[in-house]
Amino acid sequence: MADSGSSHQPEPQMKSYVLVWIGLLFIAGIEVFMTYRGFSVHALLTVLLILAFLEAGVALLYFMHLKYDRPLLLWSFVISIIFVLAMMNQIWPDAYRMVSIGHH
Amino acid sequence: MSESVTAMGATMEPSPYGMQSKKLTMWLFIASDAVTFGSALFGYSYLRVGASDWPRPFQFFPSIVNGMVMTAVLLTSSLTMLGAVSAAKAGKKAACLKWLGATVILGIIFATLHLREWFHMFADGWSLSKNPMGGPVIFGATFFSITGLHLLHVLSGIIALIVVGIGFQTKWLDENHVETTGLYWHFVDLVWMFVFPLLYLMNAAR
Repeated sequence: MADSGSSHQPEPQMKSYVLVWIGLLFIAGIEVFMTYRGFSVHALLTVLLILAFLEAGVALLYFMHLKYDRPLLLWSFVISIIFVLAMMNQIWPDAYRMVSIGHH
Repeated sequence: MSESVTAMGATMEPSPYGMQSKKLTMWLFIASDAVTFGSALFGYSYLRVGASDWPRPFQFFPSIVNGMVMTAVLLTSSLTMLGAVSAAKAGKKAACLKWLGATVILGIIFATLHLREWFHMFADGWSLSKNPMGGPVIFGATFFSITGLHLLHVLSGIIALIVVGIGFQTKWLDENHVETTGLYWHFVDLVWMFVFPLLYLMNAAR
């Protein structure tokens, strides 16, 4: 059939997708578990963001087939999105400053 | 100047991407939409972290449990979408349509659970500009706008899936359209992987 940018890696079977699905549900369960561990706002946010990015990475690679498409597609989008998110990530010091000066 | 090549009736991108133009276009849309959601979530997170009296209205039952069910439903819909794409590529039209139907049903269940949560919150006095618990009123604005934007994507995706299903059945559309729509649906699921922990779990009642 028409080329869809495959890098000729074999397409995974449904069984592989089910395993990834179970893994994603497990990570979501860990997120809920961590929520009730008594972490501070900062610590909980860090943990949840790490787990969310892990879930997103797995979904991108397997569900969205980036692992099986041409590497250029992966590197083109992922690097630019990571750059944008890293730039946005500079807001945290100011957010904590607001708390420390009692802005709210 | 790049030249588009047509292969099997579909416009192809030239090297180095070498894929169908509609697939690359969908990836470009996903990248821009990811930045839109990213900036909205960062803006919300900035306000959340910067407020010492941010409300935590979500009880484990029913709110967090409802969110967990919504997460499971949406993840399962991504799985059924993969079934649809696999069946479409294998030329199994009937199986593809069944998987698409299952994806649509799961999407409708997700949207229903979401709206039910919203109406419970409205009944409790929450809105875009009201906070019955006291503290920052902007909780409502951030929560309802971000979850509302995501819900809009879900509803649009449901409509797209129905159109693609009908088109695939009538041979107006092919398996590549199913795959491209699948990319959008997985992206909607991916966004929820950030919305649920940041907007629900971060605001869980202790």
